[in-house]
Amino acid sequence: MARRMTTEDWIVSSVNYALLAVITLITLYPFYYLIIVSFNSGQDTLLGGIYFWPRDFTLENYQAFFSDSKWVKAFGISVLRTVVGGAAGVFFTCLVAYGLSYKDLLFKKLYFVLVIIAMYFSGGLIPYYVLLRELHLINTFWVYVIPSLLNIFFLLIAVSFFREIPKELHESAKIDGANDLSIFFRIIIPVSMPLIATMGLFIGVGQWNSWLDSAYFVQSENLRTLTYRMMEIINQSNISQEAAAFGRGSSSVTSFSIQVTAMVIAVAPIMCVYPFLQKYFVKGMMLGSVKE
Amino acid sequence: MKLQPKPKLESGRCIQPDLRRLTLWKRFKKQGYFQAFVLTGMFFLLIFNYTPMLGIIMAFKNYTIADGIAGIFTSDWIGLKHFSEFINDYRFGEIVRNTLVLSFLKIIFTFPAPIIFAIMLNEVRYSVLKRFFQTASYLPHFISWVVVLGLASTFFSVNNGLVNEALVSLNIIKEPLPLLFDPDYFWGMAVGTAIWKEMGWWTIIFLAAIAGISPTLYEAAEIDGAGRLARIWYVTLPSMMGTIVVVLILTIGSMLGGGLVGSNFEQAFLFGNNVNNATSEIVQTYAFKVGLAQGRFAYAAAIDLIQAVISVILIFSSNYIAKKLSGRGLF
Repeated sequence: MARRMTTEDWIVSSVNYALLAVITLITLYPFYYLIIVSFNSGQDTLLGGIYFWPRDFTLENYQAFFSDSKWVKAFGISVLRTVVGGAAGVFFTCLVAYGLSYKDLLFKKLYFVLVIIAMYFSGGLIPYYVLLRELHLINTFWVYVIPSLLNIFFLLIAVSFFREIPKELHESAKIDGANDLSIFFRIIIPVSMPLIATMGLFIGVGQWNSWLDSAYFVQSENLRTLTYRMMEIINQSNISQEAAAFGRGSSSVTSFSIQVTAMVIAVAPIMCVYPFLQKYFVKGMMLGSVKE
Repeated sequence: MKLQPKPKLESGRCIQPDLRRLTLWKRFKKQGYFQAFVLTGMFFLLIFNYTPMLGIIMAFKNYTIADGIAGIFTSDWIGLKHFSEFINDYRFGEIVRNTLVLSFLKIIFTFPAPIIFAIMLNEVRYSVLKRFFQTASYLPHFISWVVVLGLASTFFSVNNGLVNEALVSLNIIKEPLPLLFDPDYFWGMAVGTAIWKEMGWWTIIFLAAIAGISPTLYEAAEIDGAGRLARIWYVTLPSMMGTIVVVLILTIGSMLGGGLVGSNFEQAFLFGNNVNNATSEIVQTYAFKVGLAQGRFAYAAAIDLIQAVISVILIFSSNYIAKKLSGRGLF
């Protein structure tokens, strides 16, 4: 619809664009700044004045990161918990949801009441810790995976998704001699790929970003995650307020530059999947939203 | 709960109890796989959700961690001793104040932000630009609070922090501000980082509400001589009201935990330190430190329980209001 722009239109539009540009800059620039600093020599960064591009380009920060076994181990644990925790969480949640989606399920109401209560109420962190200790999950890798196997939010979404799958698919497989278990693997999972992608992303991102469990349910230095190590180094540099030389004396790497590099590495996987999968992110948000 | 369809009245035939049980068992067996999957899930909930809920009774007991989980049930009752200890704690007033102030500030400032941002995005005519602005805006939602802490400590640092550097060079301030350490700045930091991280994400829901507005309303308003701002004020905002009210009520229900924008616990825990402790210590972080760091589990559980009870009251009352207003609640 072609329309004459009034003066008000001009003013509103330009103010709006200007504000949006500022907001977007504030949102994105911190990420950009991290990237340029991570490629800049650590000692040089301390002089300040880096705003747009690396002044003294180097890969030393990344070399230092990947040659320090503490960081490499933390990175490995984070990758492992994301993959294992994500896959196991998606699988178990889908399996339970498949059971709950059965139309004539006996005791269905009771099951849903149990699920809803568990969704809104919790015993709090302290009894939870006592439980984990009793189950001997404290200080093991499995504390990252097992307690988060069932995601109640996605359980409810998956139930309503599975219910939408045409019954005919189910029935024709039955006629071909499949039982309910093989129907789950051969039919339900393949046709639910959009749902599984969304769940995998959210649960995986949650695993990748999680820090509290590594800080308090684990004491072994071998099981620390990337986010935990980051928190550690940020707190250290906040307290000392001076950038101590990192590792070998001749290196230009500082604890600040290694911190920034770790942050880039923590954000990079999310940035990589982001452009391709943001439509799933939005879908996931709308799946659970309040509808008018 | 109804396990069996009621026997039909007109049949007049009474079903034998054995037969009924048999048919129930038969029906159960027929859906064996489904029941097996569901029961595994229920077993999981029983262990990881319901056992801790029962464990909360330790708040009324003389319990130590050495007693294990069974000790929760066998240890002696001591009534409200832990609760009265907390209320008489010299930090009680400060901690409760911090929790309430942080919760209210977050609602006041972070709730309108996505609404305004959604309206601003809606005013962008070029869909490519609009998508770019929107996509950029919810990127921070997906990064960890630890990274947000790292970003804040980079940008707000007293040494070389870009924000302080810019403010000093623009002559707005003379000395760099200790934004991360001074208790005076903690609440502002918490609210600001929450908006930065979550505004774009909550915009999605409001944009969906705007998308549902019929274009004829705008056309009619235009014919009546309404300009851009008048159309926003008289068409867009009133049409969003339903969504705004529902989201607001849900936010109030969860406000002590931080509402919909980022948990108070994570923020207070990560941005809190010994220096800004006077404003950054909230009920949850205090309970956490007392419990896990000092090993006083029962006392910490009691502190947690006080907040949990208030939260439950908030959830139920806000849900009740939501149902009254919109006919749609959480449960």
